[in-house]
Amino acid sequence: MWRLNKVRHKAGGHANSLEELRTKRREKERALRQARRDRQLVSKRLLLNEDEEQDTMEVAPGEQDVVTLFQILQHGGTEKEAFLRPLSKALRNPSAQLTFIKLENSMHLLVGLLTGSDARCRLQAVRCLHELSHSPHTSVASACLPATPYLLTYLSGQSTKFTELCLYTLGNICPDSERVKERLLAQGIIPALAGCIQNHRHNLAVVEAAGFALFQLLQSNDAAQKVIPTVLASSLPSQLLSVLTPDPDFGLAPAIECAWCLHSLTSSSEDHRELLAQGALRQCCSLLVSLGGAVADGNTDQGLELLVCPLLRCVGNLLSPCPAEALHSQLGGVDLVAPLCELVVALLHTLPALAKETAWVLNNLTAHSTESCSALLTLNLVPRLLELLPFSQGINTMVLRVLANVAHKKKEFCVRLAELGLLSALTATLKMADQNVVTLSLEVLFMIIVSCPQMAEQFVSQGGLSVLEAIQYNSDGEVRRRATYLLEQHILTEK
Amino acid sequence: SNQNKRRNRSAASDSTMGGSQTHNGDEEEGFRGAAEQQVEGNPFTFSPQLLRLHRDHELFEDGDVFRHMYLQDLFISEAEEQPAPSVSEFGCHISGCRAVFSTLHEYEHHYNSLHRHVCCSCRRSLPSARLLDIHIQEWHDSLFTILAQKQDMYLCLVEGCGQKFRTSQQRKDHLIRLHKYPPDFRFDKSRKEKGTREASREQRTDTAVEAADDVCRSEGVCEVMCGVESNQLEQEESMETHASSEEAAQSEDFSASAQTPETNTERLKPRYSYRVPKTVCFGHGSVRGFRGQRGRRK
Repeated sequence: MWRLNKVRHKAGGHANSLEELRTKRREKERALRQARRDRQLVSKRLLLNEDEEQDTMEVAPGEQDVVTLFQILQHGGTEKEAFLRPLSKALRNPSAQLTFIKLENSMHLLVGLLTGSDARCRLQAVRCLHELSHSPHTSVASACLPATPYLLTYLSGQSTKFTELCLYTLGNICPDSERVKERLLAQGIIPALAGCIQNHRHNLAVVEAAGFALFQLLQSNDAAQKVIPTVLASSLPSQLLSVLTPDPDFGLAPAIECAWCLHSLTSSSEDHRELLAQGALRQCCSLLVSLGGAVADGNTDQGLELLVCPLLRCVGNLLSPCPAEALHSQLGGVDLVAPLCELVVALLHTLPALAKETAWVLNNLTAHSTESCSALLTLNLVPRLLELLPFSQGINTMVLRVLANVAHKKKEFCVRLAELGLLSALTATLKMADQNVVTLSLEVLFMIIVSCPQMAEQFVSQGGLSVLEAIQYNSDGEVRRRATYLLEQHILTEK
Repeated sequence: SNQNKRRNRSAASDSTMGGSQTHNGDEEEGFRGAAEQQVEGNPFTFSPQLLRLHRDHELFEDGDVFRHMYLQDLFISEAEEQPAPSVSEFGCHISGCRAVFSTLHEYEHHYNSLHRHVCCSCRRSLPSARLLDIHIQEWHDSLFTILAQKQDMYLCLVEGCGQKFRTSQQRKDHLIRLHKYPPDFRFDKSRKEKGTREASREQRTDTAVEAADDVCRSEGVCEVMCGVESNQLEQEESMETHASSEEAAQSEDFSASAQTPETNTERLKPRYSYRVPKTVCFGHGSVRGFRGQRGRRK
């Protein structure tokens, strides 16, 4: 189980380790970005023993110990557990892991202990497997295949710590190779996970582990064809939704895992009927509103954004282009417009990437809903949106889209937008270096001027003429054509 | 039917999964119904788009990295660790001018100094509309040349003075004597004059003229001078030190009669501040005219 406050303790170390931690983190971040661009983004989790401190990873003993321990264990005897413990510690070392799987019958031994009559040995054996599953070498995962049917069987057992270990082990190995994943699917990992969550519903540590395992399974590149249909047909969707609301005592971790599973489901597949039928949109919206409110209030509950992020994405992708009334009922009467605006503003300086995703959801909300656009105006949210226009990396382009959505609906909206200062904001955005910003600004300007020709005069009086003239010399043809058209057909003809 | 309606492609290129969803045209007095959309040649294409993003979309990159940092126990939520939001830069629109700025003021200053009052024919930048008019008249107007042989045509540069002179030299003398301009004020671009500063500016003048010729030989494309920030800065400085009023400040372009004015067959209409002819072509010719001259000229 991951307690986020443990991470804080790590960060509170003395200066040197803090600096090292920062450097390590920056490097890791770079590596993760590259991995994502290569479509190779996968992480593993290691469940530590209770007696281990998270930031004092013991120096693993050398490989020789692994061989020695294995030989001792092979030769029988009743003291197996005493040797299994050091073996599991030794297997934390990546080269020891490789050595171990190359030893003949090593996996056979572990499986035997895993399924034997000695319960303590079982626990130690699964711990050994767990250490192996965490290996950075993908060949190790395939080596663990003989154990998988048993791991899956144990998911319906009652022992919580044991089940947790099985789950994290499975979650670690399934992304490592196609073969492993297919074998697990064939062996029924999906119904096993569904059953597991059901049985352990009140043990949130196990639920979190199951969520993680499911998430790993959903990351495969062909998940949309091979995994998701089965998941949607199982009881998993409703279970995931039932875990979404965070438990105040246990913390956010299980909700985080389940929310990321839901995001994987909604973003990899276009078939949302099952999730919508289960009320996913409604639930994600109301949760988003309450969490978003907490974030906007400055609630620094650590890790809240880890939950807000997948919720935003689910809402964004679940919103459908249905008529306004249907949308309203789908959202369960939840008013999203104001909370989302608040959230964008609140996140802008702390997590700009998340602010951008929030603006994206606003776009999807306002694209085909006159009601939402009207709410933006009546709730006086437009000035706050205008304040976002200086910010780049996707934020201002998305906000311009939202404003364009509003302008597109009605002439009166265009007039209102102009009254609220959009024209002068546009004279600034038209000068930005980003071509997307310029193009969108021209589109919005066009809509305003066509709706209300007097706006042309106002635009000119605000000094807009010179920037349009300048744009006529822009290197981008699309941009030039728009500026010229606007000038010739609508602005200069007025004079 | 209406081509613009069918296109439904917004200018920004977001990838969507499952294509864009468009509303049926039964909206009220929405934009789609406007007669505007029916006009041929209307380049505006925006229509609201619901963007479905696939999990691999780049918009999700930061959040995903965040998520995996958490999975790998490297997550930190402290505000100091997060990067500040970045602010959009402003960029000069003029094709070939690569200048970017962090504030609107800088943009405005750049634009007004370099691109605002630019002669279409020779692409020299003048500090004001009035001086631009005078420049065009004196340099690019064949009628002026003819009349100047018989009458006083060279107008005093100080607004309100109104006196005219037979030659530019006489005007210069007038400006020095009456209006107390310094004798070394750069209003003479004759090639005979020396001084290192003059020489380097001479070179700029030459290349500018070459470029202008090049442009004139192409399909009459009009482009403005650009990429000369550092040089222009020099000019600016000298203007600032000498100028007492905006009209007094001028570039070195008010020439002696040594320069033969180029005949410009197109009548320039004083409608836009660039004096852009109606028949402007934004084709390849504009690029050709500037090859090898972009960026800073030292």
